[in-house]
Amino acid sequence: MMSLKPRHVDFQETWANLKETVAGVVGLKAVDRIVWNTRFSDVYALCVAHPEPLADRLYDETRNFLEEHVASLLERVRGSTTLEQSDHNDGLLDRYVSAWREYSQGVAYLNSLYSYLNLQHVKRQKVSDAEIIYGTSATVSCPEQDARQLEVGELGLDIWERVLVRPLSAALTARIVSALHAARDAPPDPRHADIIRQAIQSTVHVRSFRVRSPLALYEQLVLEPFLQAAGEQHARTAAHLLQEGDVAHYMKHVLAGLEREVSLAQRYLPASSREAVRACYERAAVAAHLPALHADVDRLLAEASADDDDAPQRREDLSRMYQLVRPLGPAALRPLVDAALAHAQAHGHALLSSALQHHKDEVHIHFVEAILTLHGKYSKLFNEVFGGAQAFMGALDKACSAVVNSRSGEEACRAPELVARYCDWVLRRRPAAAPLTDVDDKLTAAIVVFKYIDDKDIFQKHYARALARRLIHQLSYSMEQEESMINRLKAACGYEFTNKLHRMFTDVAVSADLNAKFQQYLRDNDLTLNTGFFIQVLQAGAWPLGGPTAPLAPPAALERPAGLFEQFYRSAFSGRRLAWLHHLCTGELRVRYTPRVYHLTASTPQCALLLSLERRDATTLSEARAAAVLPEDSWERHVRPLLDIGLLLPGADPDELLLNLSFSCKRSKLRLCASPGHGAAASPPDPPQHRDDDRKMYLQAAIVRIMKQRKVLRHTELIQEVVQQARGSFAPSVAIIKKCIEALIDKQYLERAPGALDTYSYLA
Amino acid sequence: MSGEDCDGMDRGDNDGPKSDKMFTLKKWNAVAMWSWDVECDTCAICRVQVMDACLRCQGESKKDSYGKQDCVVVWGECNHSFHFCCMSLWVKQNNRCPLCQQEWSIQRMGK
Repeated sequence: MMSLKPRHVDFQETWANLKETVAGVVGLKAVDRIVWNTRFSDVYALCVAHPEPLADRLYDETRNFLEEHVASLLERVRGSTTLEQSDHNDGLLDRYVSAWREYSQGVAYLNSLYSYLNLQHVKRQKVSDAEIIYGTSATVSCPEQDARQLEVGELGLDIWERVLVRPLSAALTARIVSALHAARDAPPDPRHADIIRQAIQSTVHVRSFRVRSPLALYEQLVLEPFLQAAGEQHARTAAHLLQEGDVAHYMKHVLAGLEREVSLAQRYLPASSREAVRACYERAAVAAHLPALHADVDRLLAEASADDDDAPQRREDLSRMYQLVRPLGPAALRPLVDAALAHAQAHGHALLSSALQHHKDEVHIHFVEAILTLHGKYSKLFNEVFGGAQAFMGALDKACSAVVNSRSGEEACRAPELVARYCDWVLRRRPAAAPLTDVDDKLTAAIVVFKYIDDKDIFQKHYARALARRLIHQLSYSMEQEESMINRLKAACGYEFTNKLHRMFTDVAVSADLNAKFQQYLRDNDLTLNTGFFIQVLQAGAWPLGGPTAPLAPPAALERPAGLFEQFYRSAFSGRRLAWLHHLCTGELRVRYTPRVYHLTASTPQCALLLSLERRDATTLSEARAAAVLPEDSWERHVRPLLDIGLLLPGADPDELLLNLSFSCKRSKLRLCASPGHGAAASPPDPPQHRDDDRKMYLQAAIVRIMKQRKVLRHTELIQEVVQQARGSFAPSVAIIKKCIEALIDKQYLERAPGALDTYSYLA
Repeated sequence: MSGEDCDGMDRGDNDGPKSDKMFTLKKWNAVAMWSWDVECDTCAICRVQVMDACLRCQGESKKDSYGKQDCVVVWGECNHSFHFCCMSLWVKQNNRCPLCQQEWSIQRMGK
């Protein structure tokens, strides 16, 4: 073992030995381990030599040696080829790659041999990565080119680039590019493929140690020339393809070409270049011919959505177009999206107008089904063809929304009413003979359409009325379905939207409980009613019920149950007022004086009237009406059905009513309260004026809520937040919001912030 | 039109013997509406109808879905009425009726 102590070294002698080994290492010749170890120590000895360290000299000599060596390699690689030609099979690439393999390996070994020099001498001079990237005063000017020393391995690579690659660069480029072109059409055998790959790889490797633009050489030598040549080639092919056949044919080939190009890049080029290769192809073959592609979108969409045998073919074409155009970005895709929107919308309007022609008893079913057909058809199409891309699903939503909310002329949009009627139709109890299948699916469908409705507040009014009718008259198909529908609406629109619906639903459950308690109360107190009794107690404010809660004098037969119940209710609750909704009450009567017993279901006034005829066969209208304390028009509504079925007969005097003693009817169960929903439906849909007032109230409340929280807000932000909040109920116009803001400023809830033009502040 | 009525079995089963009556009432399906027995429909503290839950409760019942009527009404000796929730917060600051400034004491609670 030699001493590590610095000593005097004879440079010439040591270098001569070292040089011989270096030549062996670089040439990949066998080197003995002992020799290797000795030379390793020599490097050390030179670096720490006494009195002067000889590291710089060693470095220079090594550089000189490598330069000479690479120059000789250059001769070997060049051989006798004419550099100007570009035949990639002339052997130049083979020789280049074999020299590179040998040299790059050798230099790597050499780097280890010189590791002391690298570590102790070069590292100290090296600038840190951070300094290279961010620059310091010393290195800000071109740090790669100064006289700084490189590690020996790096030095070797640098010399390779300077001495061998530069003179050959044009020749190498020409051959690599032409080899890649050949490989595109016919994959070369594995050996050749490997040579191309390694040649390309060498241009990357040579600079891999550089921090700044390590790929510059590769880009300059390989990528850029390749892309340029490829671009020209693609443009020629594309033009040729377009002349050859129609757009469908073109897209098919272009897509195949794109795949080929990407796989070519994958096989031969570094991963970082794939995007560039792809983009180059897309520029030449797609972007350049975009107008030609766009011109066919309409036709393809029309044919793809048709139901004939060609449609699958067209869908494939369309899908290809999407794949080709999508990478070019949203702007290139826009015509496709617009066309898809226009197409779906036109189709939707056609479906809609034929749906609306159906009889008014069925139009709601056809309406919902039409929208559903539209939605189903195009979401399937767009999913298949455009992979369900956001832009197209957005277009479908837009189209559906436009169709759903379309209105003819001045007429209000019918969607809210029709969808509410559809829900009513689904949720209603129906004859056992004609059950409705897939209730769940139908409700889901209703929600799909519902989400597109702008005027959700109007839908809610219709829905609430129908729900009230179903609940009060017990017409619901199932309470679970009712509840699940309310929950779906809540999921779509939030608590506020379904609050009242929830409360209505809860009232029904509470009422069932209440009846049980009432019966218990009667038993506990030994009380009996003279008739069957069932009551629903509804909370005020939640139910959309018009009509009088008037004090109609109940017939004697009803006074007892009503009185007892009120007594019970007062004992069970406190602070509550109870009002009878007589127009919604029904009584079940039996007619006994006829040969056959008839079961009547009649409104309370009807019961009162009939029961008053218990002891006599005739009465007068005015007397009966006075007894019932009802206004004329509603009285008329109650008497009319009795006359219609012939249970009562008009007397000689127009005021007189006679009981029909020889009454007979085919059916034994008769429902007199004209239509079951008559009472609940009595309040007509709100006139538009009323609706607008509701909306203004809603908006003002929203504005105050927002401002209370934010204190100071700019006009545009306020508008945005209000629109956001109202979206669940309706789509407010900016003009209306402005009016509401003005109104609130007048009422001194807000003020315009002093000194700012478009800012409001909240006044507590 | 019959629900699961509670007195169930035709207890007025007087079909047979005393059918001298011309009409008999079998059953009455009544509908009534209740509201708090208040002079003013809105709670003066939160400006919401007393029949609706107060603002605070509305905000909270967003969490538990089926709102039982928890938000009851309270009457003071002065006969003014408010949401109980609103009033119990109010008296912490000021033990007077917000409408008439009388000392607040509870006359009765809604149930």
